[in-house]
Amino acid sequence: MRSVYLLAMAFVVLAVAGPWLAPHDPAQINIPHRLSPPSAEWVLGTDALGRDILSRLLHGARWSLGLAFVISVIGLCIGTLAGLVAALGGKLADWLVMRTTDTFLAFPDLIAAVVIAGVLGAGTTSLIFALTVTGWMRYARVARGIGLSLQSQGYVVQARLAGLSPFAIAWWHYLPSLLPSLAVVWTGMFARAILGISALGFLGFGVQPPMPEWGTMLLDARIHMRSTPLQMIWPGMAVVICVLAINLTGDALRDSLAEQERRS
Amino acid sequence: MIRFLASLTFRAAVVLSGAALATFALLWHAPGDPALAIAMARYDALATTDVIAIVRAEAGLDVGFWPAFLAWVGPLLVGDFGQSSVTGHDVLPEVMTALSYTMPLALAGLLIGLAISLPLAIIATRRPRGWLDRFAVAIASIGAAIPAYWLGLLLILLFAVHLGWLPAMGARTSAHIVLPALTLGLGVAASLTRILRSGILEARDQPFLPAFTRRGVAAGGIERDHVAPHAAIPVITVFGLELAFLLEGAVMVEVIFARPGLGSFLVNAIEARDFPKVQAVVVLAAILFVTVNLLIDLLYRTLDPRIGERDA
Repeated sequence: MRSVYLLAMAFVVLAVAGPWLAPHDPAQINIPHRLSPPSAEWVLGTDALGRDILSRLLHGARWSLGLAFVISVIGLCIGTLAGLVAALGGKLADWLVMRTTDTFLAFPDLIAAVVIAGVLGAGTTSLIFALTVTGWMRYARVARGIGLSLQSQGYVVQARLAGLSPFAIAWWHYLPSLLPSLAVVWTGMFARAILGISALGFLGFGVQPPMPEWGTMLLDARIHMRSTPLQMIWPGMAVVICVLAINLTGDALRDSLAEQERRS
Repeated sequence: MIRFLASLTFRAAVVLSGAALATFALLWHAPGDPALAIAMARYDALATTDVIAIVRAEAGLDVGFWPAFLAWVGPLLVGDFGQSSVTGHDVLPEVMTALSYTMPLALAGLLIGLAISLPLAIIATRRPRGWLDRFAVAIASIGAAIPAYWLGLLLILLFAVHLGWLPAMGARTSAHIVLPALTLGLGVAASLTRILRSGILEARDQPFLPAFTRRGVAAGGIERDHVAPHAAIPVITVFGLELAFLLEGAVMVEVIFARPGLGSFLVNAIEARDFPKVQAVVVLAAILFVTVNLLIDLLYRTLDPRIGERDA
């Protein structure tokens, strides 16, 4: 299980240090060497404009992982806040928040994201907006569920009787108990955001060329599928390995949480 | 039961109203002047200021947000999805045509997914942690990480470009459905295998099962009467999610395979900024999704009567 954490760490390092590790400038156009096969000079070959694919993948990690991180953290904050309001704010607040959550869950989320990003116009801001709007609900449900179960706990009842405000209770008593479960949800949403970013990029509604985002790279590569199929393999592999590492990390996290709960 | 049904239906109605409002608000506040877009699409160079003003009045865009929303939602309640802002044709027949390509695809994807995952999960759980079980888990994990569009491209590369066995683009013959359906089906199989496996394992773990064995009930009977219903509950939950996956997957897959279904319809409508079409697809997806989840809630209650008591 530990090796999974190492793999996930390796990706974080790659995403942060990628631009320094890249052997070439990812935007350097080199027409004479376009669509080169892998070689010592171009480890994974070059794309239709002669740009080095490895360098683009390394720079792209910052887009794919960085944006996914931003999106999943914004979603975490919104969702947790909504869940806490539902759990602590009384019946009416609960009803309103949960029906809002249901409403956002009523759309298949990638379809909603495609529509939002497409309608608002391609670009990074609408991409972040689209994937955040469609990605906060699960946190809210988990936060509310655990929040409601905490309500009858002795220490929460005592805190309330001692006159602590709902904000203080939420901060000191609810958040610490919520964090482990939210962390598990977060890994899932992080992976989902990576898939979402690349899907929107592939449809042309996400990060715009010439930025080396993985989905956008796949869109470029698709046209040259017949002549240079390898060019299409790399960005896809990057997405798959990344998402796999994150999902496995989430599984490991969940298992160790379950283990702790059984012991206590 | 009737109270439970009423509360579920009321909730679904609230959610759908909210969904319609959210959709309309998004498109209403979208950047760009929709009247200009329509005028450009219809009259091209002839789109003068006067023409744009006429189009704006015709399309009901010169009233405020709420009147416009009501003018859209009213007919929607009786199944009128309005007219395309580009062609002026009714939206609904076009959506139905697109749906006639997406439905068989989604169904075929689901069947392929079941055909792979059900046997795999049953065989894998014979010996938990055995090599077959580990294999199934590994396949499921990798499958869950593969984006549908990339899998689709890989299948095209292998079966259409390299081997030349199957057609890739369009929907002219029935053979054209094979690759898109396989793309969807493999994704479904990955997530279903995972859920079925843990569902079956958990059901086998129930404390009352050894009691049946000791009383001499045949193993097959226990599996059928006690393990299967228990395993069914998580599986039904997943069907709701699976439906979302099928719809989303269909969008991506149809774009890759140039299949004229709902996905291509939606993406084209967005690119043409034909908002009545976009609204129609989004609202239909929400209706479908909410209805299926409503049915799932009902099914739950039938399978496990305790759920209704807690949740209604």
